[in-house]
Amino acid sequence: MPDRGRLAREALQHLDALYDHGRYLTRNAVEAEDLVQETYARVLGAAATFGGGNLKAWLFRIQRNAFIDQRRRSRPMAPSFDPAALDTLDGAPAPAGEDQLAQLRRMTGADIEAALFSLSDEARAIVLLDLEGFTETEVADILGCALGTVKSRLSRARAALREKLKDYAR
Amino acid sequence: MTPEDPTERELDQLLARRPRTAAPAELRRRMEALASETRPATPRRLGRWLAPLASACAAGLLVWVVVRPPGDTAGARVDLVEEAVNDHLRVVESSHPVEIESGGIHQVKPWFTGRLDFAPRVEFSGDAEFPLVGGSVGYFRDRKAAVFLFRHRLHSITLLVFPADRLPWRSHGLRSLGPLAVDEQRSRGFNALLWREGELGYALVSDVNLADLERLAPRLNHP
Repeated sequence: MPDRGRLAREALQHLDALYDHGRYLTRNAVEAEDLVQETYARVLGAAATFGGGNLKAWLFRIQRNAFIDQRRRSRPMAPSFDPAALDTLDGAPAPAGEDQLAQLRRMTGADIEAALFSLSDEARAIVLLDLEGFTETEVADILGCALGTVKSRLSRARAALREKLKDYAR
Repeated sequence: MTPEDPTERELDQLLARRPRTAAPAELRRRMEALASETRPATPRRLGRWLAPLASACAAGLLVWVVVRPPGDTAGARVDLVEEAVNDHLRVVESSHPVEIESGGIHQVKPWFTGRLDFAPRVEFSGDAEFPLVGGSVGYFRDRKAAVFLFRHRLHSITLLVFPADRLPWRSHGLRSLGPLAVDEQRSRGFNALLWREGELGYALVSDVNLADLERLAPRLNHP
């Protein structure tokens, strides 16, 4: 059985990453704090079930489940978090030309954040998990879907983001 | 993902510039307090020479526990008050402070069924002076809490109800309010009343006058 105290302390090393990810998920600093607190409470409650391996990926999986529950509680009538919605996105657009690349290079952090926020919850989550440095296998584990599904959804989400960024770069 | 396409690389470089926000200091402090409360697991096997030493340490720890209960320190109690005030701030700052709007306490309380692993005991249904706005599920430290939101004129009053075990409750200097023995605290301009009834803990927090909270607290379960 894992040492609960040690696990709790090691989990603290990922607090900033969990909060930042939570802020992008919820789009709200207060809700992100709630989400992180709920995540840590669940982590402590489930410490005995952690079987080793990538602690950060385990924490993000717990956070994702907490986020889904939080959404269900706060917006019971809203569509649920549905990664399958990504499958309806169009395929990848044509590669960007030099002009577009130059435009992208001039974008500010606020533009990038706005483009990320304009994505669907599903697309934003998968793009951010990729940016967090998780492998596609780890992303599949966090999201609870097949590896092939992650590959196709990530490709579509990044394509959607490129389109959004082009809008913000104009 | 390791994109080889220049456009993908460009996208990665661009996204690496996205704003990143570190966890607020207050959140970090709360989570560190949570982590420090967890006890290390007992070693499954001890060397033969370590066993007597461990027994002696355990005996010493037992004496220490009897003399001074774990967590029963001024700092830990301050943490309890700070947690209550933070929870109140999260409720009033939330874009949706209640998840179930009030049609009376008998509508709000059943809503918690299935959402909590305990039954929050609150009998007061609100009145003209302290109308009940609604309820939601929150967290108090490492446990779920039933959150009730009352109003008093233009002020918000948050009532948190949660399992009382393993928390550093004050046992001295309590104020008697009817049947309650209440720990009255003030932090950052907010008044906080904390007390236990049976297995449940209660925290009542607001920026209203202390006298107003003192009138509300005894009525919650003894209207």
